[in-house]
Amino acid sequence: MKKRILIVEDEIHISNIIKMNLTLVGYETEQVYDGMDALERIKGDRFDLILLDVMIPRMDGFELMEKIRPMNIPVIFLTAKNAVFDKVNGLKLGADDYMVKPFEAIELLARMETVLRRYGKEESVLSFQNIEVYVDKREVTVSQEVVELTPKEYELLLVLLKNKNIALSREQFIEKVWGGDFYGETRTVDMHIKSLRKKLNLQDQIKTIYKIGYRLED
Amino acid sequence: MKFWQKICLFSILTFIIIFNAASIMVIERNHSKMLQQEINNTLSANMSINSSVNAVVPILRIYDSIDYEKTVLTNIASEFVRRNSDQGSYLDIADDKDKTVFSNLDFTMPREREEREELEPGEIKYILRDIGERTLLFTTNVTDINKKNYIFTYIKDVTPLYTERMEQYTFFAQMDIVACLIYIIVMFLISKGLTKPIERMVKTAKEIAQGDFSERVQLKSRDEIGVLAANFNEMASVVEDKINELERNNGEKQRFINNITHELKTPLTSIIGYANYMRSTKYDEATFLEGLNAIYSEGKRLEALATKLMDLILLKDHQFQMKPDNMMDIVMELEPSLKHIVAPKGIRLVLECEDSRLPLEKDLIKIVIFNLVDNAVKASKEGGMVVIRTLERGGSCVLEIADEGSGISAEHLDKIFEPFYMADKARTRNNNGAGLGLSICRSIADIHHAEIEVDSELQAGTTIRVVFPQTQEEGGVNP
Repeated sequence: MKKRILIVEDEIHISNIIKMNLTLVGYETEQVYDGMDALERIKGDRFDLILLDVMIPRMDGFELMEKIRPMNIPVIFLTAKNAVFDKVNGLKLGADDYMVKPFEAIELLARMETVLRRYGKEESVLSFQNIEVYVDKREVTVSQEVVELTPKEYELLLVLLKNKNIALSREQFIEKVWGGDFYGETRTVDMHIKSLRKKLNLQDQIKTIYKIGYRLED
Repeated sequence: MKFWQKICLFSILTFIIIFNAASIMVIERNHSKMLQQEINNTLSANMSINSSVNAVVPILRIYDSIDYEKTVLTNIASEFVRRNSDQGSYLDIADDKDKTVFSNLDFTMPREREEREELEPGEIKYILRDIGERTLLFTTNVTDINKKNYIFTYIKDVTPLYTERMEQYTFFAQMDIVACLIYIIVMFLISKGLTKPIERMVKTAKEIAQGDFSERVQLKSRDEIGVLAANFNEMASVVEDKINELERNNGEKQRFINNITHELKTPLTSIIGYANYMRSTKYDEATFLEGLNAIYSEGKRLEALATKLMDLILLKDHQFQMKPDNMMDIVMELEPSLKHIVAPKGIRLVLECEDSRLPLEKDLIKIVIFNLVDNAVKASKEGGMVVIRTLERGGSCVLEIADEGSGISAEHLDKIFEPFYMADKARTRNNNGAGLGLSICRSIADIHHAEIEVDSELQAGTTIRVVFPQTQEEGGVNP
């Protein structure tokens, strides 16, 4: 089942770009542009996560947060201010994380995933066409046949699946799979992509994007 | 040592010294007076014996018998002693061979009697002697009877005088302790009371030093401490005002920076977001157009913000040359470009201008008019009316821009001049506004020492008036 995300953001362009990115990786989204509408929607419907801008009309993010808190819905604050006060205040009020604008889409997706996992809302099975990934067992099947992957290949596959339809640079792959303190060459990424394509028969789906990196496409 | 303790200690010391010295002097003087009187009495008693003796001397001469002389002298002495028996007085008569003729002494006559030496007849000498526990006054004279010298010594016991002095000292010592105790208590209370206001000021000063600038000394007296307290309070309130002003300025600056950050980051988030989306995903034609549109309009918004910010910064640290000019001419000059602003909404621009000359910086005034008309147009409905008036009011020049638009509600009125303040955020955004227009107008008005007045009624319209200060003699010369 698709996760439902409520985007509370008064800047229409920012709201739209978030929606577009979330839709790409398979979230279902709804957009509201002020605090009062947001509160109404939250009361009326069930959401898995709320992205909440701090400076919104009619009722600001902090005030809304106090009302959301008892409902036990994960919240990530979006803020243009990186003043320490805002962060502390936001987290103290019970927000799960915050993003300082401007932010990268994949960064937002990663934070959302972390928060959802904390709330036990993570998918236990990720599927893409005939491929199934059982996260609990760290097992990958292609058409019900188990395929053996090295740990790094497995991690790389997860990153591709979670950022489906979004191109990631080799540097971003390295950071997410090998960690920030990896000083190897970016060619390592190419090697792993090559073996993933071969093992999972994804020659066409994992696209090489000129000057950027790789993208997993439906 | 504390001030009150100093006051207390010094005054107590002074009191003790003066009080004791004065009391001792009084007692001593009293004593010496009494003693002198006693000496005088004794001397006159001695003299009265003498005169009794002198009276019988002629008779004794006739008889010229030592025995008779002695008998007579003894009689006179006995008579005298009988009369003064109760007063502790003694009489001793000795002849020139130091043989006692008469004596009623109950003690031994001291051997050394310096008063007897070189004693001339008719002369009386006296001396005080301590014998045993007593103090005795010796008065001595020599009387010549039939060529024989008789030494008369009349002795008076003056011990009571010394006893009296001792008693007075004892009494004084008790008095002294009581008086000093009372004085110490009174002085303690007085010095405490006098220094209490100082202590209160010290306390207040400490509280102020710890950052509580609203603290004041509560003191209502007209003495020097009261004056000091009043001055202290005045100083504290000046400091408080200054601190508050600094804090306010600081807060304003912080808000300004926060707002700039926000205004910069918001369009950047959209631009980066769309650009990144388009370079890293497979987009369709509609998304592509939407993205480009967003990037373009957000870019324009950044540009507008940059221009406005430059204006604001320029206004802050620039010296401007004021030249006398006619406000009406400036409005006329601007009319074509103003028409450009009002045209898209079909708004009618009305100019009601009078001649009004005043010193001004032309380009800045243009910015003001432009911004105010721009605001008026944004607030107006399609087909509305915007009026620009220049007029003289009470000797000062007034620039007035009025619209029939949505108006500003009272809650926003006092904040609209703050940088980045937007009464209607969505509308301002849609018009590529950054919330800086009025704050630029305010800065320009400040440069001209002009006041900005705002009259506004919701749904009825807003009138903004820039009132320039009275022009000097220039206006008065031309009728």
